[in-house]
Amino acid sequence: MNVGIAQGERNPNSSWLNSRGVWLTYIILLFVLHFILLSIPYITTPVAWTLTTTIHNICSFYLFHLVKGAPWETSDQGRARRFTFWEQIDNGVQWTGTRKFLQILPIILFFIASFYTKYDRTHFVINLATMLLAVVPKFPIFFGVRLFDINRY
Amino acid sequence: MTVRDPTPVPEHPSLEEVYEATPFSEAFWTYVNYIILNIFGWFRDFLRRTRIENRKGSAEYNPSGFVPLYQSYESFYTRNVYQRIADCFNRPIGGVPGGKLDLMERVTEDYNWSFNFTGNKITTINLGSYNYLGFANNNGPIADNVIESIKENGLATASSTQEFGNLKQHRKLESLVAQFLGTEDAIAFGMGFATNALNISSLCGKGCLILSDELNHTSLVLGARLSGAVIKVYKHNDMKHLERLLRDSIVSGQPRTHRPWQKILIIVEGVYSMEGSLCKLPELIELKKKYRAYLYLDEAHSIGAMGSRGRGVVDYWKCDVNDVDVLMGTFTKSFAAAGGYIAGKKELIDHIRINSHACAYAISMSPPVVEQIISVLNLLIDDDETREGRKRINQLAWNTRYFRQRLSKMGFIVYGHPHSPVVPALLYSPSKIAAFNREMLKRGVSVVTVGFPATPLVLGRVRFCLSASHTKEMLDDVLKYAEEVGDLLNMRQSKLNPKKPFHETELIAH
Repeated sequence: MNVGIAQGERNPNSSWLNSRGVWLTYIILLFVLHFILLSIPYITTPVAWTLTTTIHNICSFYLFHLVKGAPWETSDQGRARRFTFWEQIDNGVQWTGTRKFLQILPIILFFIASFYTKYDRTHFVINLATMLLAVVPKFPIFFGVRLFDINRY
Repeated sequence: MTVRDPTPVPEHPSLEEVYEATPFSEAFWTYVNYIILNIFGWFRDFLRRTRIENRKGSAEYNPSGFVPLYQSYESFYTRNVYQRIADCFNRPIGGVPGGKLDLMERVTEDYNWSFNFTGNKITTINLGSYNYLGFANNNGPIADNVIESIKENGLATASSTQEFGNLKQHRKLESLVAQFLGTEDAIAFGMGFATNALNISSLCGKGCLILSDELNHTSLVLGARLSGAVIKVYKHNDMKHLERLLRDSIVSGQPRTHRPWQKILIIVEGVYSMEGSLCKLPELIELKKKYRAYLYLDEAHSIGAMGSRGRGVVDYWKCDVNDVDVLMGTFTKSFAAAGGYIAGKKELIDHIRINSHACAYAISMSPPVVEQIISVLNLLIDDDETREGRKRINQLAWNTRYFRQRLSKMGFIVYGHPHSPVVPALLYSPSKIAAFNREMLKRGVSVVTVGFPATPLVLGRVRFCLSASHTKEMLDDVLKYAEEVGDLLNMRQSKLNPKKPFHETELIAH
C-alpha cells in the first residue's frame, strides 16, 4: 500500500489536522451531534449540552490519548508506534496552531455548557470532570508520560 | 494550497502553474467520508476481534509469552479502506501497455478479499502508463533489433559493471546518452530507483548538506538518507524558502561544530509525477551559482517528454546543460525500457564509475534492454522533423496542450504545469476515487487514481498520463467520458474555469 508514495513524509498522522477545513469541520460536526441530541424528545437543553460535552470529551480522550500509533504502516520505521495521536501531531512540536485549537475547544464547550445548564451543581461537576479529562493530558508536561504504566506498550 | 501568483521567469514564454484552493464543501464531505469509514472500521474490527465475523486477512498468531510483531492497528487502513476499493488497484494486464491496453477481467465473490478471472479481456484506452513517447510495443523495427541482440549478446551479463559486466554495447549506450543530452559523458545502470539510491552516497557524505524538495521521490529520499549527509527539506518549488535555508545553513555551518559544509547539493526533479509540476530551473541555477551549491536534477518523467527536441527540462527552459552538475534520468518512462543514467562532466562520471555502489555490486544492464534504448535514442537524436523521433515528440506536446486545455475548460480542477504530460485532476475523497476508476472502466478507459497516503489527506486525484500513441479521437472519447463521470461525481467545481460542456471548449493554439 505504501508503494507509489512520492513524498518523504514519515508519518502523515502528524500533519493531516492542518489540512484545509479541518477545524471548521470539527466544529460543524460537534454542532451536528448537539442537534441530534436536541431532537430526542425527552432530553432538555441543559441535559443536551452536558451530554454533548461529555461525549465529545470522552471520545476525544480515547482517540487522542489512548489509541497509539497510526492506522497505516508509516515510513518512520515504527518511531510513532509508542506515541498517542496527540503526541504525534506536528511531530511533537508543542504550541502549534492545531494544538492550541484542540486545547481551547473543550474549555469553550465547558463555558457554553455551564451557561446553558444555569450553573447547576450536578451538571457543573460532570462538565468539570470531563473537561479536565480532555484538557489536562494535552499539557506539554504530560508529553510521553504514562501514569502507572497504563498503556505503555 | 492557495492560488499562487504567476512565477516570473526571465525570457521564457511559458505559462504559470495554478493550484486552485480546495473548495470547503469538498473538504468537509471528504472528512465526513473518512469519519464514516472510521466508524465502520472500528465496528468491523470489534466484530473480527470477538470472532463474530471471520477474519479474512492473514493475522498474527500471537502465542502467549511472546511480544507481538505487528500492531494490528497499523493495518487498519488497509483492512477497512483500501480493501473495500482494492479492485481499482493492481489490475493484471493481458498485453503490451501501449495506447490501448487489454485488462484481464476479474470478479470478486467476497468483497475484494479474493478475485477470480472470468477469462475475458477488456480493451481500454490506456491513460495509466508512463508511455510518454509511445515506444511500448512488442513488434516493429526496435523489437527486431532487441531480438537480434539477444542472439548476439545473451539475456544477461550476470556480472557487475566493474567485473565482467561492461560490454561494448554499454559504452555505446553511454556515449549516445551523452550525445543526446549534450554532456561530456554518461553512465547507465540497470535500475532507475537504484541509480538514485546508490549514487548519491558517492557524491555526498558526512559533512555535506542536501537540500531536497518536499515532494521528491522515495528513491531520492532513500539515497539522501543512505549518504549520511544532513538533509533539509524545502517547500515544494518554493525558491524563497530554499534561499532562506541556503543562507541560514551557510551562515551557521555544520551542526554543533559550525564548520563550513564540504558541499551543498540541491536535489530536484524535472517533472513531479504526483502534481504534474515542473521545477523552476532558471531560478535554481541562479541560486546555485550565487551560493556555490551543486544541482542534482532527476529527470525521470521529463526526459524525452519535455522540450522541443525531447531533451528534458533543460531543453524546455532553454538553459545551459553545463549549469546542471548532475543530470540523472530513467529509461523506464519515455524509452520503454528499464534502468537509469547519470550524465555530466567527464570527471564526475569517472568518479562514479569507480566509487558507485551500483557499479561495484549491482549487475549491469541486460543487453536486450540496452539495445532497446540505443534504438530509441537513435530515433530521438535525429533532428529531422519528418522522422519518427521528432514526430512523436511533437505529437506528445500537442496531446498535452490539447488535453489539458479542454479538461480545465470543462471545469475540472487540474494541477500542474500546462505543458507537463502528467495531468492530475482532483477528486478529493476516497469514495470518489473508487467511483471514478470503476465508472471509467465501464466506459473502456483505464486510469490511475490515487488517494491517501500517497497524496495529502483531502487531495485524492486521478492522474492521466498522456502518450504520443494517443490519437485525437482517443483523447476526445476520454474527455467525453470524463465529462459524464465528472457530472455524476460532481467533480467539475473549478471557480477559475467555470464548467462548460465539452462541445464549447475549443482549442486555442499554444
